[in-house]
Amino acid sequence: MKKLVVTMLIATMAIASAGCSKAPEEPKTETTETTAKKEKQETDVTLEFLYNLNGEAISNEVQAVCEQFTEETGIGVEAIMPGSNFSDIMKTRMASNQLPDVWTTHGWAVARYAEYLEPLNDFGFADHISSSIEEQITDKDGNLYTLPIDMDLTGIIYNVNVLEEAGVNVDDLKTWDDFNEACKKVKSIGKTPIQMGGKDSYTFGNLMDFIAPTFITNEDEANQEALLDGSFDWSKWNVVVDQVASWNAEGYFNKDAVTADFMTGVKALAAEEAAFMFHSASGISEIYVQNPDTEMGFMPLPAREDGLKTSLMTGEHFAIGMSKTTEHPEEAKKFMEFMAREDICAKLATKCGMPSGLDNVESDTGRLEPFYEKYTNNAEILNIPYFDRKYLPSGMWNDLCVTGGTILSGQDNATEEAVTQMKNSYEEKKAQE
Amino acid sequence: MKVQKKAAINLFYIPAIVLFLVFVIYPFLHGIRISFTNWNGYSQTMKFVGIDNYVRLFQDANVRTALVNTLVYGIASTIIQNVLGLAYALFLNTKFKGRSIVRTVIYMPVMIAPLIMGYIMYFLFQYDGGALNDIIMLLGHEPVDLLANSSAAIAIIVMVNSLQFVGVSMVIYLAGLQNVPNMYYEAAMLDGASSWQRFKHITFPLLMPAISSSTILNLIGGLKLFDLVMALTSGGPGFTTHSLSTLVTNQYFSAQSAGYASAIGIFAFLLIMVVSNVVMKFFDKREVDV
Repeated sequence: MKKLVVTMLIATMAIASAGCSKAPEEPKTETTETTAKKEKQETDVTLEFLYNLNGEAISNEVQAVCEQFTEETGIGVEAIMPGSNFSDIMKTRMASNQLPDVWTTHGWAVARYAEYLEPLNDFGFADHISSSIEEQITDKDGNLYTLPIDMDLTGIIYNVNVLEEAGVNVDDLKTWDDFNEACKKVKSIGKTPIQMGGKDSYTFGNLMDFIAPTFITNEDEANQEALLDGSFDWSKWNVVVDQVASWNAEGYFNKDAVTADFMTGVKALAAEEAAFMFHSASGISEIYVQNPDTEMGFMPLPAREDGLKTSLMTGEHFAIGMSKTTEHPEEAKKFMEFMAREDICAKLATKCGMPSGLDNVESDTGRLEPFYEKYTNNAEILNIPYFDRKYLPSGMWNDLCVTGGTILSGQDNATEEAVTQMKNSYEEKKAQE
Repeated sequence: MKVQKKAAINLFYIPAIVLFLVFVIYPFLHGIRISFTNWNGYSQTMKFVGIDNYVRLFQDANVRTALVNTLVYGIASTIIQNVLGLAYALFLNTKFKGRSIVRTVIYMPVMIAPLIMGYIMYFLFQYDGGALNDIIMLLGHEPVDLLANSSAAIAIIVMVNSLQFVGVSMVIYLAGLQNVPNMYYEAAMLDGASSWQRFKHITFPLLMPAISSSTILNLIGGLKLFDLVMALTSGGPGFTTHSLSTLVTNQYFSAQSAGYASAIGIFAFLLIMVVSNVVMKFFDKREVDV
């Protein structure tokens, strides 16, 4: 009997390890939940709106806009920002088919959420989608799945003062060789050329995701097609991996690149101790919070060789999709129309400091205005989608994050392992599609 | 009457059994089912793939790494916790001023959530501004990024886990020591036995039930280590410090391979079951009645 009881206890404890556990979040994660004031609500309907925009200023603006919607329409909105585990929460909600009425699609309107989203082609705003982002939020049948309040324009962010001190002019950085020279100059003045925060593994994901298209897919249709149809020769990935490994060997990354977190990087750039960071332009606002007196900018991704264009990645940032199984389709449609209204959309995009995803809406991008003016609709710059969202099967973001860390850890055969990991994962996930 | 009373008592088991079925057995059986599919963790559809996930599991270098790490976390933590726990217990079983305070101090880390402990230790070991590196720099040396080195990171995880839960072993051994009748020691002293001989021939054999409990508890705790790994390294660099538990999370949520993650979870379950039962049987044969 005693043995039976002990065995049962062991089994229970072991089962706990077999069950799925939730990855913990760092204490910094912020959760906000506000319901629009009930007294202004004239109907019984309350829409559930899940959004993933961290930061007090933008969160307050979203809450204010939702309250305005309630005032104008009498429809309640429960706007919830669950923090940095938003993506996992959405996966769980999808698994149980209990989706919110509307939610932010954070780059995955087509690849992940299309099965659950109502196509938005019949809305008035569908005719005003910015050409820079249209392809990324429309499927191959022409269905538009999300309302792009703003759009990400992503390259490399940099500290203007550090580059000036090192004698680097970003307009001269056309190829990765030019970029390497710039890193050398930055290192020679005792500053960190490239800042990484590998404890937040997405920063490795960013690094790999940003440089990969410049080596593999930009102006190379054969590779684009091969990645999409599953015939890609993964030995070509060596060039991406080798680039990162060579930066590591040259000592261009911060010494704690593997274990520092993102905020450490933000502080390093704010303190003018580091020059470049592979992060979307939205990261600059975090740096200005740390040090408003510094000067930041962003630049396009260099090309692999002379004669090819530099590039900027465009994708969803604050974009809202509507559930196709919502119990309140009419109310949800009113909400979508309200959010696309010029004054509302402009207010939200301005708060994010990003250009609007609608061509009839003007937003104030503050100190980044000159950069957006310089790079938006510039024929010399390729406008490309995020590499993983376009060319890799869903779920491979994890591989980009992990292989980046593998290379920087300097372990034996790291580059070979990184290529093998990408190849195996790609083939497994392609086979499951 | 007696039968009726027994039946009534059995009714009280029902709530516990229902909760156990709903929150342990059902998810476990569901996990087994998912492990034979290619489910991505959120889609409404999944395809039966037979034993593909299990075949992949045995060919996956990352699972091998996680398995080795899991065994290291489990076995090394168990050894350190038991040796230190027994030493503390022997020391604190003697009478001296401040004994209660020392016991409390050693047990205190057990009350801290492992995740919080992990973050506290991260701030100790981190490269930039970590307390350890501050001391190293104060002594005129270059700072070191210990968590970036997989071997050092594994050693740190084992050490932190062991030191956090050594209090549990200490309490088990203290209880065991207080159950050893004094007459055995008195008889041994009359026979002229040295303190080592008394420990070897009286204390150790009579502590076997405590050793058995402590070892199995520590082993299971170490084999399913999760929180500390997530807080200190998140399984990195690369996959080098993942345990099977953290790899399950990584594959389920990040890699969107819920079917494969479930297969790894089932494998971890079997591993813990087998190892724990082997250890339990080993100690069963050596237990001595007082």
